[in-house]
Amino acid sequence: MARTFKAKVLRYNPDIDDAPHFQEFDVEYEPGMTVLDALLYIQDKYDSSLAFRWECRGGQCGSCAVRVNTIARLACRAKVDPDQDLVLEPLEKMPVIKDLVVDMSRTQARLTRVRPYVARDKPAPRPEIIHQQDIEIVRELRKCIECSACLSNCPVVRETWDYAGPMIIRQLARLEMDPRDVEDRISMALDEAVYMCTTCKMCEDSCPKHIKIPSLAVELLRAKAVEAGYPLVEGQQGFIDSINRTGRSVPEKDTPLLKSLESEEFLVENPRGRVAFFTGCLIDYRMQDTGRSLIEVLNRNGIDVIVPKEQWCCASPAFRTGDLETAHDAARRVTEIFERVMEEYDLDTVVVACAGCGKTLREDHRPFIESERGEPPKFKVYDLAEYLIDVLGKDNIVPPKGEVNLRVTYHEPCHLGRGQGVVEQPIELLQMIPGVEYIDDPYKNRCCGAGGGVRAGQREISMKIAARKRGYIEATGADMVATECPFCTIQIRDILKGTDIATRYLPDLLAESYRKGDAED
Amino acid sequence: MEYKTIVCDVLVVGAGGAGCRAAIEAAKHNVDVVMISKELVGKAHTSMAEGGYNVAIGNVDPDDNPDVHFRDTVVGGNYLNNQELVEILVHDAPERIYDLEEMGAVFDRTPEGKIAQRPFGKQSYRRTAYASDRTGSEIMVTLVEAIRRTSVRVFDEVFATKLLVHDGRIAGVTAIDMRHGDYLVFRAKSVVMATGGAGRIFKVTSNAQLDVGDGYAMAYEAGCELIDMEMVQFHPTGMVKPESAKGRLVTEAVRGEGGILLNNRGERFMSRYYPQVMELAGRDQVARSIMTEVLEGRGTPDGGVYLSIAHLPRSVIEFRLESMIEQFEDAGVDIREEPMQVSPTAHHFMGGIRIDTNAQSTIPGLFAAGECTGGVHGGNRLGGNALADTQVFGALAGKNAALFALEHDLPGFDRSEVQSEFERLQAMLERKEGISPADAREELTTLMWEKVQIFRNEEDLQYAVRELRRIEREVVPKIKVDVPIRRFNPGWHQAIEFGHMVITARMVTEAALMRKGSRGAHYRTDADPNDDGNYNIVIRKGEDGEMELQKVPLVITRMNPP
Repeated sequence: MARTFKAKVLRYNPDIDDAPHFQEFDVEYEPGMTVLDALLYIQDKYDSSLAFRWECRGGQCGSCAVRVNTIARLACRAKVDPDQDLVLEPLEKMPVIKDLVVDMSRTQARLTRVRPYVARDKPAPRPEIIHQQDIEIVRELRKCIECSACLSNCPVVRETWDYAGPMIIRQLARLEMDPRDVEDRISMALDEAVYMCTTCKMCEDSCPKHIKIPSLAVELLRAKAVEAGYPLVEGQQGFIDSINRTGRSVPEKDTPLLKSLESEEFLVENPRGRVAFFTGCLIDYRMQDTGRSLIEVLNRNGIDVIVPKEQWCCASPAFRTGDLETAHDAARRVTEIFERVMEEYDLDTVVVACAGCGKTLREDHRPFIESERGEPPKFKVYDLAEYLIDVLGKDNIVPPKGEVNLRVTYHEPCHLGRGQGVVEQPIELLQMIPGVEYIDDPYKNRCCGAGGGVRAGQREISMKIAARKRGYIEATGADMVATECPFCTIQIRDILKGTDIATRYLPDLLAESYRKGDAED
Repeated sequence: MEYKTIVCDVLVVGAGGAGCRAAIEAAKHNVDVVMISKELVGKAHTSMAEGGYNVAIGNVDPDDNPDVHFRDTVVGGNYLNNQELVEILVHDAPERIYDLEEMGAVFDRTPEGKIAQRPFGKQSYRRTAYASDRTGSEIMVTLVEAIRRTSVRVFDEVFATKLLVHDGRIAGVTAIDMRHGDYLVFRAKSVVMATGGAGRIFKVTSNAQLDVGDGYAMAYEAGCELIDMEMVQFHPTGMVKPESAKGRLVTEAVRGEGGILLNNRGERFMSRYYPQVMELAGRDQVARSIMTEVLEGRGTPDGGVYLSIAHLPRSVIEFRLESMIEQFEDAGVDIREEPMQVSPTAHHFMGGIRIDTNAQSTIPGLFAAGECTGGVHGGNRLGGNALADTQVFGALAGKNAALFALEHDLPGFDRSEVQSEFERLQAMLERKEGISPADAREELTTLMWEKVQIFRNEEDLQYAVRELRRIEREVVPKIKVDVPIRRFNPGWHQAIEFGHMVITARMVTEAALMRKGSRGAHYRTDADPNDDGNYNIVIRKGEDGEMELQKVPLVITRMNPP
């Protein structure tokens, strides 16, 4: 007997049906099978009127994007997992023509309005001299095959077409970076609401060509806008000014963590490792207890923790919004401080518990420092969960003993999952806590709307994205949502006000279980 | 039968490299241009072309020039090319690539900042311009950008079913709107066919879904002459596995950049067949060499041979063959470390609509460009000449179609002919008993793959001709559609396409049966030594409705066959 799996396809013919409905098909599995193969199997075997688009079957034409188990991907490149039902739906945001075929007219019209072609003010010389180094970024951005998967996956587009979406912003960056184009693409990008992007990287993750749209398009255009003298909005400029003045993005309220600690050194007997703790602004100034929890969790696991008294903001807000002067200054300072700590305390590892800081240290500081001085920062950066599971080793973790009898789900911060590739580790930690019933949220990796300067600068859209996130969390039926980022924690706590669902920062939850375990002993 | 009529000056059927280029050129003459496309604009098979665009501009090898390009093309085509058309190809290719740059294309550069060029099979110099190994995609993206700045009216997902001829002139096409199912008539003063090839009539092909020979069949039915239909290029390197990727193109650039072919004994077997040029022999020659290795038991367990680039620097592979890395990653193979498995795949039709030096067919007002035409490539097309063909002849056809439209009035059209065409389509939609398009297609493509492939012989071809006549008589009229809904119904589209596939397959097979000797891509294991092969075969639909084949003399400007 051949192995079979179930494919549920959303069918809809607007001429006949009142509403879309799922139809189930049994599909024979073949090793290497793609979603397109499954669709063709259904079409040939069960119903030749099943509508979907495809042409090249090689990831080159961009016709066959559909939502595969909630995320839009090219059907010809998405592999079938026979152990799981396959749920296929049309792309978001576009009216359905029939079944999985959607109407792209609006996207096309939207694209056309930015005059999406190289505009010249004089005829091209023949031959034209163009140097390879001048087209490197264009070459990367040119790989787009306009499959529109990114538009379907974009949390901002989902809420409003005020934002043109990743594909179109990419086209503007492609033209801005083309030495031949003479139009003012910066002001177009501002008109198309380039500052609405939360830099959640969902577009990059689902792009069949892996185009780094957030960094190569969104942040690049923002940086060009700042360079051209366009002001940031007040909420964003406030962060930047504060960083430049104090090294912290937010003003001091209660006694900061670094000021309250009596020592830089938190050493244990017979240490199994030694790390430096990069607190980030929010743990230092707003979530001091989380900082102490992190030190405690590491100490309990036999890790020496060094908390340098002198620290500086990673300048994520500056990288995200385009103030590269502030951003690069911060990258130099942070590198200098932690390289000094490395030498002084003989360590090579920096641990962070902020997804935004971790992403910035890894994806922004590292390449910048390397390009500037020819050598990247000497230290390695780990998220706390990643450090415990991957470096210390799951089997070596001192098991937390205190029971936390709750149904807990997890929100994956964008800058942790897609920003640093840390996906399973926080969940594994959660599942180590006795009493926790972990509930998986199929939408756990969707943006909460806080990042990219959007909470600070575009509160209305930020809260719309957050409201949808609340719906996902509520649908899990969990008592608590755990996460691993201060911004996400604040944002989610905000939107869950008025519900019975608690929001906890992962180190706090771990520390709580350890402490409860002590009390029970 | 209700239908809607759309009137324009120039109608372009097809929106790949040639169609878009024709529409852009025609629009420059301020005529009203409509372009219809079976797929969403930009998704045409041109975007699948990988390796490059041949243009004798000598950026890397300064000794190259259009005369050498001419010689290489004619020798490569086994002297069957229409040399008047080759003159146009090699002469116009440079200006047309600069057009693309002007529109915004980004080709890879030499250190001096000129367009870089790589070696391709059977060419005297490094001549093939490229954008990594996604050159077709780069050109397609550029043309779509350029279309968006013109006044061309684009109707995408519109499927043309029949050419309308009135008083001996082209008058338009009938079509269906695939999205909503409306019947449409496009009336025009001139029409450009740019409908691509028909790789899909073979079971194993590199071609996209849409390449089923619509243009060949429609042109044939309208009484147009077609030429060289027996000449089908089997690209030597298609993917072997997984099953669902079988036939997918592995670009010639892999060999151009230094990839080597190995049999199951680890021998570089091309040294036995073409020791001078090895892997860069003609596509027909490499394909036959690979098949010989496989048939004689020296193939891989999956029925191919190995293609290895593991000896090349990683940086070269990653910069110039990025799509190949991705394509094989999906199949679980890291080409930087392991060899690929490859075997031939149906790739390109050298034959097609017969055109003159104005890109006009034998029907006045009907122009054609790109793979749907015949004559430019003769018996074998050089890698890199197809993209050049789309641009050179696309522009030529577009220009002449516009000039024709400026000089002529709108022709009339025959309502009853239109009515009966839509009745035919509607009857097909409503047929409940019969043969499904999927089953019919399986039968046809298997027959073509087994009997009309790389190695041909009299017995197989006679069998195939008989079978195809039977299919045309008995299967085509019985094709059914599961659900009688006009709104986006792929079963219906496939049913219509099947008729086109059968006509195209018949033309290929009947012409192959007529040509008794081996020539170019047409290789007979029982070749008649007395057939000098110095002719082209022209096909047309006769007055009696039967397929007529005729040998015609070669068109020669400066190179006589040896």
